[in-house]
Amino acid sequence: MVTEAPPEGARSAGLRSVTRTATTTPGRLSVAAVGLVLLTAVTGLFAALTLQDKKDTLDDLVSHREPLAAAAQLIFRSLSDADATAASAFLSGGAEPDELRARYEFDIAQAGAALGKASSDVGADSMAAQQVDILSRQLPVYTGLVETARTNKRQGFPAGAAYLREASGLMRSQILPAAEKLYEINYQRLTSEQEDARSFPWITALLTLALIAALVVTQLWLTRKTNRLINIGLAAATAAVALALIWGTVALLVESTYVRGAERDGSQQVDLLVQARINSLKCRADETLTLVARGDGAAYEKEWAELAPTLAGEGNLLSRAAAAAPTPELAAPITEAVANAEAWVAAHGKIRELDGTGQYQEAVAMAIGDAPDSAAVAFAALDRNLIAALDAGRGEFVAQTSRAANALTGLVPGVVVLAMVAGVGATLGIRARLREYR
Amino acid sequence: MRRVAAAVAALVMVSGCATAGTPVNLATVTAGDRPLPVGVEVNPPATTGAAQPSDCDPTASLRPGALPPPRQMPSGSTMQKILQRGRLIAGVDQNTYLFGFRDPTTNALEGFDIDRAREIAAAIFGDPNKVQFRVLTSAQRIDALKNGDVDVVVRTMTATCARWDEINFSAIYYVAAQRLLVDKSSEISDIDQLGGQRVCAAKGSTSLARMREFPSPPELVAVDNWSDCLVLMQQGQVVGVSTDDTILAGMVAQDPNLKMVGPRIHEEPYGIGIPKENVDMVRFVNAVLTKSISSGAWQASWNRWLAQAGGRATPPTLRYRD
Repeated sequence: MVTEAPPEGARSAGLRSVTRTATTTPGRLSVAAVGLVLLTAVTGLFAALTLQDKKDTLDDLVSHREPLAAAAQLIFRSLSDADATAASAFLSGGAEPDELRARYEFDIAQAGAALGKASSDVGADSMAAQQVDILSRQLPVYTGLVETARTNKRQGFPAGAAYLREASGLMRSQILPAAEKLYEINYQRLTSEQEDARSFPWITALLTLALIAALVVTQLWLTRKTNRLINIGLAAATAAVALALIWGTVALLVESTYVRGAERDGSQQVDLLVQARINSLKCRADETLTLVARGDGAAYEKEWAELAPTLAGEGNLLSRAAAAAPTPELAAPITEAVANAEAWVAAHGKIRELDGTGQYQEAVAMAIGDAPDSAAVAFAALDRNLIAALDAGRGEFVAQTSRAANALTGLVPGVVVLAMVAGVGATLGIRARLREYR
Repeated sequence: MRRVAAAVAALVMVSGCATAGTPVNLATVTAGDRPLPVGVEVNPPATTGAAQPSDCDPTASLRPGALPPPRQMPSGSTMQKILQRGRLIAGVDQNTYLFGFRDPTTNALEGFDIDRAREIAAAIFGDPNKVQFRVLTSAQRIDALKNGDVDVVVRTMTATCARWDEINFSAIYYVAAQRLLVDKSSEISDIDQLGGQRVCAAKGSTSLARMREFPSPPELVAVDNWSDCLVLMQQGQVVGVSTDDTILAGMVAQDPNLKMVGPRIHEEPYGIGIPKENVDMVRFVNAVLTKSISSGAWQASWNRWLAQAGGRATPPTLRYRD
């Protein structure tokens, strides 16, 4: 073949030569081979990257996203508990009992550690950064006020009570709302990452289907041209791609089922329990602060009356969580929590009755004492149940998400190998035909 | 040649400026966060407690009758209702050192006002412990009496004509005077020097109302409890606290870095607040006060609480309008 020098330039000459090549059968064969190999390479690469991304998302959910949501929850819990503990210590009279002091110190240490973890992750999320900023700036102020209150109390000065009120006001008006907001942001990020993890990669699927269609069309065309029914190379390529498609689809279906399970039995359940725990902590602080205020605490009791029905009452958070628990083992601590919440509400009723009829010291004993029917005992039991249920829910999340990740085991290297098989098959299959033209 | 040198120097400066970057500040904080007590208000609108032109003698109460023995109250009387209930309900303070405060070691309410409430309980029940304390802020005192939430209010409450319109007062059981509390190193010696500066007082108190009447009033920071003023003072958020010398003495007792200055701005006669309709209770409480002064119980209570604060060691003369 002789080509005349094109006047327009080299590029359009090259284009024209390909166009002319495509008019002859061997030429068309070469173009088909190049096209199939390119399409296979693109599809294989795209699929491998998408699937690797999915696997990374699943690993990130377990190792990063869920622990951070848990850390945000821990900040709220520790700080709210610190506030309620400080109020209880104040009610106890004299130098505060060692165990209350130890509990307060532990709460503050835990909040600080969890805050450190949470702040390392805020990144570009300005809302989360704002909450972390509030928390980091106000927490030292809060602890300073509590220590000043403690010093005054030990000297027998009522200014201690004023410092404690100021500290508690700061906690409830600024610090706790920021901690709650931070948890909500983290939970939303967890939810949206779970959605990513279980979304079906449609573009990859369409590319793969297009590749199969191209392979089939090529084979039909060859059969018509050469009257040979089967081209082994191309058939092997088609089989490899089809295998990759089926494997990928099945693996992704299994994966999304597990991710959905992790959502339903894990993160959503944990979120319900976290809400119950947040409300129970708020209620506990209200209960002790009402007694600290000694008749001037109507606002605290009002909040208790609003929140208590979410713990014990028609359609409360705990009974919803108990109903949603997937196994009896997971439901057991929640069922206990329901009973303890009811016992606590009953104890609270007695506290209000005692306080309302002038038996203040008895009311205080009922609130912070260690009698088996006291509010302190019921609340501590409820909190233990909630910790057990939360741990179980988190365990369920990790188990199901790990199973989802396992469903994708070997898929990425598998897809790469199958894509190479398909590419080599297509090349060899068409080369065998090309040889017949020499 | 010199011009060339100048041009080179200018070029060096320009290029030097052009290459200098600005340091990046990641954590910009403009000021520290000062915490405030719950419910603090700056320059709140005027409410009751305002000192009004004197058209009555607020220190004159109703003349007492004979004191019945404990547990034998006249039938149909307010005291008999209290006896049947089993406890006296007294509105008090738990944040004012020396008058009504929670002793942090025993967790019990103590103070000069608390002693008065216990005397009334003892007169009705023969037992000073048959009393339920309800903590009230200064601003809640009148409403609590009008709603019948409490039987008496014993809470450093100044008898004024405006308040007499809404409630009754017992005879005057203590006379305090409004003064000013400042830092020991401060050169301020009078409220007149405080124009525009921040001064703390409790909401609904006569002290707050009086400061408004000054020719150059200070910026008023109103709080729920007197001890919140001490907190603001210690945190350096106000330059002074102005109220009754007795309350201020309680603050000095908690912080030796403070001092009381200035003249006695106004006499503050303390009465026990009682609902308007319970006239029999007023006469009864006045009989209890008379007995307390004559038996020496008043003096013992003064010695225990108020001797350390200075002031008058003699009980005020009880005066009546019949």
